[in-house]
Amino acid sequence: MLYDVVIAGSGAGGGTLAARLARAGVKVAVVEGGPKVNTRTDFNTHAVPYEFPSRHIPTMKNGKPGFDSERTRGIGGKTLLWNAVAWRLSQRDFKGKTYEGAGEDWPVSYADMAPYYDSIEREVGVCGNLDHLEDLPDGAFLPPVPMKKSDLIVQRGAAELGVKVIHVRKATLSTPRAGRPACHFCGNCMAGCDVVAKYNSADVHMVPALKTGNLELFPNSIVYEVMTSDENKATGVRFINRETWAQGEVRGKCVVVACACVQSLALLLMSKSSRYRTGLANSSGELGRNFIPHFTNGVECFLDDLVGQGTSNDEGFLDHAYVPSFMHNRKRDYARSFGVQFNYQNRRSVGWARGINGFGKSYKAAIKARYPAHLVFSPYGEMLPNRESYVDLDPTAKDKWGLPQARRFVVHSENDRKIFESMTDWSVRILKSAGAEILNVGKQPVGNHELGGARMGDDARRSVLNAYCQTHDVPNLFVVDGSAFPSASEKNPTLTIMALAARTAEHIAGRLTKGEL
Amino acid sequence: MAERRQALKIMGAIGVSCMFPYEADELYGQEHTHQEGAAAVLPTKLKAFDAAEFALVARVADLIIPATGTPGALGAGVPFYIDMICDANASLKGVMRTGLQWLAGVKFLSLTEEQQIAVLETTSKNAETGGDGEPERFWRAIKSMTADGYYTSKAGLRDELGYKGNTVLDRFPESTIPEH
Repeated sequence: MLYDVVIAGSGAGGGTLAARLARAGVKVAVVEGGPKVNTRTDFNTHAVPYEFPSRHIPTMKNGKPGFDSERTRGIGGKTLLWNAVAWRLSQRDFKGKTYEGAGEDWPVSYADMAPYYDSIEREVGVCGNLDHLEDLPDGAFLPPVPMKKSDLIVQRGAAELGVKVIHVRKATLSTPRAGRPACHFCGNCMAGCDVVAKYNSADVHMVPALKTGNLELFPNSIVYEVMTSDENKATGVRFINRETWAQGEVRGKCVVVACACVQSLALLLMSKSSRYRTGLANSSGELGRNFIPHFTNGVECFLDDLVGQGTSNDEGFLDHAYVPSFMHNRKRDYARSFGVQFNYQNRRSVGWARGINGFGKSYKAAIKARYPAHLVFSPYGEMLPNRESYVDLDPTAKDKWGLPQARRFVVHSENDRKIFESMTDWSVRILKSAGAEILNVGKQPVGNHELGGARMGDDARRSVLNAYCQTHDVPNLFVVDGSAFPSASEKNPTLTIMALAARTAEHIAGRLTKGEL
Repeated sequence: MAERRQALKIMGAIGVSCMFPYEADELYGQEHTHQEGAAAVLPTKLKAFDAAEFALVARVADLIIPATGTPGALGAGVPFYIDMICDANASLKGVMRTGLQWLAGVKFLSLTEEQQIAVLETTSKNAETGGDGEPERFWRAIKSMTADGYYTSKAGLRDELGYKGNTVLDRFPESTIPEH
C-alpha cells in the first residue's frame, strides 16, 4: 500500500495533520511508537495518593504496560497528559528580530497564521476571555472560566504594579461541544482527562478521522528511519514493533515527522544516507542546533488573605489565570520577555510541608493554616537561539530498542540570564504586592516545552524548514512540531504547533491535488 | 452528582445528534463518576528496621505530627510508610540507622515527653540553621518522610487538611475576595 502521506507521531502536530488530510480525502498512515490508550478507562484520572502504599499514583491503571510517559508514547502523544494552555503567538513573537534585533524572525507573520489559529480554536474548543492585548492576540473563544479566589488576590496585587492578570486560555471546554461535555473541574487534567473535556489528539482528531476511512493507525511502531530514494525523495518510514520487535515499513508519497521536538530531531539525525551523512535534511548543518526550550522556575508562597481561612473545592482545571508578558513596553536591559503561569498543581501534593520549620502541635497547625493559601508562581522566559544549544545522538548510549539516545545541550546567554533574574524578581514583587509569605524562590532555570532544532526560515543555509514546514533539502519531507520554531516566545507552544499543522495540511493537500508531491 | 451525570448524558445526546461523528456508545462523560479508590493498607511486616529501631521511628514520627483533634503520624500509619521507603533506599536507611543509634544511645524512649521534645528541639533548630551532622541529617530525613507520609494519607489529607477536591462541579463558582 502506498499512502499519500505517512506521519510519524500522533500528538498535537501529527493528529491535526492526520485529521485534516483524512477529511480532505487524502490517504494517511499514522505511525506511533506507543499503544492505543482508552482515555476513559486507562488513566488513573481520579486516584488519590493514599490508594497506593508508595503514595505515588501510576499514570496507567492496573499496571497496564506500554505507555511510556517520559516520551509519552501512545496514540495522542503528549496531548494525553498536557495542561491544555493555548495561546496565540503575536506578531512581535513571529518577528522578534525585526522588532528588537534579537532572536530569529519566523518566515510567517501573524497575519499568515491567524486563519489557522481561528480554525483550530473552532475545531478543538478553546476557552478564554477577549483581553485586547497587543502581545497576546484574542481568538475564537468559548466563555472563560471564573478565576479562583487566589487569582483575584494576585490580580489585585499585580494591578498595584500596573501588571495585568487575565483568564487563562485552555483547549478545555467550558461549554459542551461536539459530543464532548464541559469540564467538571475535578482538578486531574494532567493525569489524563477521562471525559475529553480537555482536548487530546486521540479522541478529538484520530477517532473522527478514522471514520472517514482515509486514516490507518500503526500503533506500537517505533519509527527509527525515514527512508529516501536516489532521487532525493522521502519514500516512507521504517519501524520496530514494540511488542514483537518485528521490523516493518510504511511507504508514502510524502512523509511528515511529528514525533515531538527532540524525538523528531533524533529520527532525522538517525536517518543517515550517502547523500545525508550527518542526518536527513541537514545540508545546512543546522539540524539539532538552536534548541530553545523555555526556561522556568517557581516562587512558592502562601497568600496572607487565605492563611487560616479553611479549604474550598478550588482545584478547578488547575490554573485559571495568567500574567501575560508585560515587559515589552517597560524599560529593561534585555530583549524579549516572560509570562507567568500559576496555580497549576492540585491540592493533593503537600510536599512543601517538609520545608516548614518546627514540629509538634504548632507545626501541624502551621501546615493546616497555610494549606488553603499555598500558591506556586511559575514564570516562563523566552530563550534566544544560539548554536551552542543543541540536540544530538549519544555516540554510545542506546535505548532498549537499540536506538541511540538523544542528548540535550543548553547554554544560556547573558540575555537569557537577565530574563531569568527579571522574571524571578517580578514574581516576588507581584506576590509581595498581593500579600504573601514567600517560602521558596527557585535559583536555577529549569527547561520545559522543548522547541527548535529544525527551525523554519527563508534562508536554506541557516534553517532546516521553509515556511510550510517542508525541509529545504527534501521536497516531500515535512517536520511539524515544536522543533520547527525559529524563536520560542514565552508562550506555551501547542496551539501554534496545531496551527502550523493545519497550514501544512492545507499545503500538502493542495500539492497532492496538483500532483506535485 | 446524579444531576450532573444526567446533564452530561443530555449534552452527549445533543452532541451526537447534531454535531459530531461519535457513535452512541462512544458518548463521552455519560457514565461519569468520581469513585475514589479504597485507601491502600501499608505493609506491617518490618523490612528496613528491627523492632527496637521501629519503636524509635514511631515515637519520633508521633512527636513530629501528634494526634490532636485528628489522628497524628501514628494513627495514619506513618511509621510503616517510613519503613517501606527506607527499605527501597539504602542511603536513606543508612542516615536513619545512624540517627536511631544516636537516639538509642541517649535512651530516648526512657526520657519524659518534655525531655524528648527538648532533644528534638535542639536538633530541629540546628537542622534549620544549616547544621549537617548525623543528628541533623537524621532529623531532615525523618521529618520529610513523616510529613510526606502523613499529608498523603487519608487522615492527613482529608481529615486534617480538609481536602475537598476530586469531585464533579456543575460550574466553577465565581469568587469574591475581602476588601482591603
